[in-house]
Amino acid sequence: MLFASGIGGPLGRASLLVGLIAAVFGMFAAISGTRHNDAKVLRLLPRFAFLACAGAVGAFAFMETALINRDFSLAYVQKVGSWSTPALFNFTAIWSALEGSILLWVLILTLLTVSIVVKYRNKLNDPMVGWAMATMFFVTIFFYLLTLGPANPFGAGKPGVLDGPGPNPLLQNHILVVFHPPILYLGYVGMTVPFAFAMGALITGRVGEGWLVETRRWALISWGFLTLGIILGSWWSYEVLGWSGVWAWDPVENASFIPWLTATAYIHSVLVQERRGMLRVWNLSLLVSTFSLTILGTFLTRSGVLNSVHAFSDSNIGPYLLTFFAIIVVVSVSLIGWRGDKLRAPGIIDSPLSREGAFLANNVIFSVFAFIVLLGTVFPLIVEALQNRQLVVGEPFFDKLAVPTGLVLLFLMCIAPVLPWRKASGELLSQRLFWPAWAGIAALAFSVVLGATGFEALLTFTLGGFAGGAAMRQLVLATRRQGWRGLVGRANGGMVVHIGVILIAVALAASNSYTHSQELSLKKGVVASYGGHTFELLGFRQTSDARRSEIAALVSIDGGQAYTPAVSKFKSMGSNIGTPSVKSSFAYDLYLTLEPPVKVSSDAAKIKVFIKPMVMWLWIGGGLMGIGTLLSAFPGRRRRPTDPTSARVPEAVEA
Amino acid sequence: MSDTPSSEVVVARKRPFAPYIAGAVGVVLLAFLALLAFANPGGTDSAESPLLGKPAPEVKSTLIDGGNFDLARRKGSWVVLNFFNSTCVPCRQEHPLLVKFAKEQQGSDDPVELYTVVNDDSDAAVKAYFDTNGGDWGKVRDDDGAISVAFGVAKVPESWVIDPDGYVRMRVIGALSEGFLTARLDELKRQYSGQS
Amino acid sequence: MAILTVGLLAVGTTRDKGPMTQGDRIDAITKRIACPTCDGESVYVSRASAAENIRKQVAREVAAGTKTDTEIIGTIADSFNAQILLVPRATGLDSLVWVLPIAVLVCAVAGLAVAFRKWRRQNTAGATSDDIDLVNKLLAADVGVDPTDDENV
Repeated sequence: MLFASGIGGPLGRASLLVGLIAAVFGMFAAISGTRHNDAKVLRLLPRFAFLACAGAVGAFAFMETALINRDFSLAYVQKVGSWSTPALFNFTAIWSALEGSILLWVLILTLLTVSIVVKYRNKLNDPMVGWAMATMFFVTIFFYLLTLGPANPFGAGKPGVLDGPGPNPLLQNHILVVFHPPILYLGYVGMTVPFAFAMGALITGRVGEGWLVETRRWALISWGFLTLGIILGSWWSYEVLGWSGVWAWDPVENASFIPWLTATAYIHSVLVQERRGMLRVWNLSLLVSTFSLTILGTFLTRSGVLNSVHAFSDSNIGPYLLTFFAIIVVVSVSLIGWRGDKLRAPGIIDSPLSREGAFLANNVIFSVFAFIVLLGTVFPLIVEALQNRQLVVGEPFFDKLAVPTGLVLLFLMCIAPVLPWRKASGELLSQRLFWPAWAGIAALAFSVVLGATGFEALLTFTLGGFAGGAAMRQLVLATRRQGWRGLVGRANGGMVVHIGVILIAVALAASNSYTHSQELSLKKGVVASYGGHTFELLGFRQTSDARRSEIAALVSIDGGQAYTPAVSKFKSMGSNIGTPSVKSSFAYDLYLTLEPPVKVSSDAAKIKVFIKPMVMWLWIGGGLMGIGTLLSAFPGRRRRPTDPTSARVPEAVEA
Repeated sequence: MSDTPSSEVVVARKRPFAPYIAGAVGVVLLAFLALLAFANPGGTDSAESPLLGKPAPEVKSTLIDGGNFDLARRKGSWVVLNFFNSTCVPCRQEHPLLVKFAKEQQGSDDPVELYTVVNDDSDAAVKAYFDTNGGDWGKVRDDDGAISVAFGVAKVPESWVIDPDGYVRMRVIGALSEGFLTARLDELKRQYSGQS
Repeated sequence: MAILTVGLLAVGTTRDKGPMTQGDRIDAITKRIACPTCDGESVYVSRASAAENIRKQVAREVAAGTKTDTEIIGTIADSFNAQILLVPRATGLDSLVWVLPIAVLVCAVAGLAVAFRKWRRQNTAGATSDDIDLVNKLLAADVGVDPTDDENV
């Protein structure tokens, strides 16, 4: 035992305090050093960054130690700790409730601050970096204050507690609990860095295009983590929650999805800025929106104004987050109002039918999409405030609006990759779109032959094939010319991401449109069949330990291996948690759940069987998106200054 | 890396419009903020129900201690249905009050019939709970949840009052407080006794 | 090409979707009902016991086979409240949730259109033929670069 019980609390709080003080000093050093261009002061920044980070690392380590030692003198350990939790889930218990999540947030934030200071150690006297550092420290201070105030993880618990309930049962059921929250947070918190540079740009009133590339890369990597985090979250939901779906438009899911949408808009439109120097203010606004939406999302899900399955804890953190959100909004909107005109670029976009035109369309659609999701999420609050009446906005609303939006985006993915910059002619388009369009028709024909029905699904498959063809065209041309290097760089890596998105879109359309389900009453020794498969109940398996008792039905599918849908009762919680069992294949998944009531003695069980086509492709698509993000983060082939930026327009003067 | 025009180009010939757009966006956002700031956290439980004043839904089931239960046959006396689960903490909290209430009613001249409705719980657990904590009134099985759905019960505990004519008169969401049920029942009896 | 696409879409869209099992019907109905204890989730999604009960009720109604989907949802809304319906109504304040997204889309598209028109008007100073010759000469001198190569961003 590293520390005696009880000492973890003071040590953790001391550690947080050290971090807070370092962040405060860091912020003032960054501001005054930058304003007076004082290199001596600025040289101190790395020290403050490291110290702020050390505070967070220390606090995190003390909390883990307390959890591992089951130090029940801490309120947080009383809340999420338990002697009966296995080591792995005991380790992850740290992010299973609010206070620990904020601790993880601080840890990631300070690590990011350190990585900025290390990366730009030779450029600290650039005012842009100085103000960005000041912003990073400012955000860090806020989150440190949360950990010392309303979300204090080291608060003393009631005396005399010797054991706790452990984390929420849903959070100790699957290995993905280890990966999903930290990865999601890396993306979520990572959006602070581009925001900090956006603030730097607004305060200094200049947008160095070199900085832009750096910010783009930070944003891209954060975006990649956010994407992976969201997909892992869906996977977790699929494997654990037992309703056989991946996305429920739950407020917490929306809270991560809305910033994802604005960030996606940014990583597209920033290319216009990189190439043409335009849309600077718009891009800064997107970065600011993305960051403030992460804070707003945290407020909505953590303050208890909206209830949701994920809102594992309530606390009085709400007003703090709302105030912080207000500060960010007021400061950035005023800065944009003050500096916007100075930053605006003189360029023009010649034609809607051009790469930049397509990016603009993409941005409009993504922004509207983000607005839809945000509106749907907060609409119950609006109605309650204005008419004092409760209302639910759920899946059907989101589906109704998200499906057409997604289809428009898919259509843009068909056209945009083949569009040249500046201007496209009709012949050029029809020549370049020839094969992709045939790929779309082939996909349609193939799905019709396989028996697919439904307009929305068929349109998705067609556009998916089309967009896939457009992406493949770019990749084939690039690899033919440059070998393996044709896969890296933003355009080519981006196409890999596109293919991942297309796979996800197609898989979602297929699994949403063609899922069938049936409840089967199985009796031991009697073979039931459904959907071309046979199901036989072999028996039950009962396991029980201090933590939970579990009843699993052993169901043999097609006479093969036994699958084990289960229901567990967590003793400390008293709630039943179902655990589905999934037989996956590339074509479709068989998703089994054990339906209550379960009576072992009766030799019979009710099983619900879902046949879900193409679910595997969701995860494959997610993987491809991750790989594609990595590929596009690598610098691609450098353009030579004399390389043409667009196709030659035959009639150059066309007034 | 970049062939775009220098960032220092200042656009002087354009009319400034950033402040106006930013101002407009700011106003919208501030309204939104105000809305969030005054949003009612969590929302309140209302004791409203579309069923109030209407005939009670049909309730036919079996009792855990044996025998059948049919709400329609209970006409002629006031009935309280208490939706219960032995694992639910507020249910346990209000239980002593119900025991007290049942005792009071036994002594009164117009006794109210109290029934517990049990959903998603095992007979053994319910029996064990009542054996240790008291309460000898009937416990109605609702294994398939039909009664809970018919009354629109979302979360136990809930208590419903049905008048001698079989009309729904009151719904209480959440744990009862001391003396509440007796007081409200007296009121209801005064209010509706003349009508029957 | 267009004819082929439309033809295939028509074939796929209009043909029989195959039998709908009771399970499918239960799923379709429960997707339209909100779980009363968990804000925002449908009964189809939720595993809460209230949702479980409603699902069983829907299953019973479907098995009985006498009511339509809307009638089944109606009876459940009679016991609970209208707030159990997942799709916001299209009247009164609630209609804003449908109208606002469309309004925002229209505004955004209109804004883009205005911007493009403005850009069109500014785009009067094009390159002169001298400029183009100059660029082409320089590009031609740059060996190995295909001036039409724009596949790389």
